[in-house]
Amino acid sequence: MSNAQNFLTDFDEQLISNLRGNGIIRSRGEEQLFTTYSYFIREGMNKYTMSEDEAFDAYSDTILSAIENVRNGSFEGRSSLKTWLYQVFNNKCVDLLRKRATNKNSVHQTASISDMLFQLSDTGKSIIQKLIEKSDWDMLKQKLSELGDACRRLLTLSADGYTDKEISTIMEYKTADVVKTSRLRCLEKLRQLYKRP
Amino acid sequence: MSDLAYIDSYFKGELSPEERIKFEQRIHNVPAFAEEVAFYCSAVSTIKDQLVEEKKKQFRELYYNDKNKNKKARPSLVKKLWPYITAAAVITGIIVTLTIVTGPSSPQQMADKYIKEHFEVQMGVTMTDNADSLDAAMQLYNENKLPEALRKFEKIIQTDSIAYFPKKMAGIVSLRTGEYDKAIEYFIQLENLQLYSNPGKLYHALTLIKRNRAGDKEMATQLLKQVIDLKLEGKETARKWLKSL
Repeated sequence: MSNAQNFLTDFDEQLISNLRGNGIIRSRGEEQLFTTYSYFIREGMNKYTMSEDEAFDAYSDTILSAIENVRNGSFEGRSSLKTWLYQVFNNKCVDLLRKRATNKNSVHQTASISDMLFQLSDTGKSIIQKLIEKSDWDMLKQKLSELGDACRRLLTLSADGYTDKEISTIMEYKTADVVKTSRLRCLEKLRQLYKRP
Repeated sequence: MSDLAYIDSYFKGELSPEERIKFEQRIHNVPAFAEEVAFYCSAVSTIKDQLVEEKKKQFRELYYNDKNKNKKARPSLVKKLWPYITAAAVITGIIVTLTIVTGPSSPQQMADKYIKEHFEVQMGVTMTDNADSLDAAMQLYNENKLPEALRKFEKIIQTDSIAYFPKKMAGIVSLRTGEYDKAIEYFIQLENLQLYSNPGKLYHALTLIKRNRAGDKEMATQLLKQVIDLKLEGKETARKWLKSL
């Protein structure tokens, strides 16, 4: 990222550092990122003739995607944060308008599943995709809510991109291995609850 | 290695290329294993989706709160207004210093002043799923019809137990009507919500200062210290109050 750093302002650098942090530092970074560019919402409304709610949805999707990309290193700083975000925001607005025009409502939010299936080969993906379509999402959500608070927090932190090592610090587990074992035990518990007739 | 651990290792990128090929083959050859992989993907995806919804809800509260308060200016506007902001900050600094030098008020007076300045004013509505009912409740609040407003907020809380704004307002109304125990209950619930910006502890401390029973002052001191240590909403106010406690 050394060649690209020229494009980043001091403010960008600080914000990125916060977003890559943990706990309250990260939360503050996310909040700061959201509020700093929230005027995009008004611009989206004017540029694309969207309702405030639609522009808000496009903007919050932009921010969530930005947070993920900053954290996993996909954002390389080849432009300033603002330029990059504005581009992502425009793409999200266009996607939203296209979806509105074709009235294509997905049965389930598939973005996170697509990301996971992307790792599989085409044939493997096809098998898993068919099985996933049979999932009872409401039941899964309900069973998830029946897990204990500690399990839910553990799984949520992991889904939020925290590594087992980071989780061990946040939740005061002894080691990352203990976190992994506990996390898998929670998933197993969820599976048992879900499969129970 | 159990199937879930194996699947987890695959999706976390911990397997070697050879192991990844074997993993894919197993999906083809063992239907029960494919079912496990599908469950893993569905479960992780559901958790991620819930997380996204939660974050969007927090962003929504943040956005409409800021919009209502009209405190956040656009960056370009900040630049233009920078000299004025600086001047205002200097004047505020002088006023604050003078206030401190001319003698601290009692904790009770400070609490009254805070309530008057922050809660006895027209307050905006936060946009949430219960926007219409909230709007009605806030209208009653702004018309100073506090018991009626409280009933409305409590009704909303019954239908949405994790809603942040109605809980905050129910606590504030209870504080203003002198129902301190009830206010504390609401503020404790607020403290337990995972929010980006949470005034729960500050308001809890404020209520204890107002209630002023034996032990309340000590408890308020502890809460204010937590507000500062954890960098929660209102940490500057907390610093100020601590000096007079």
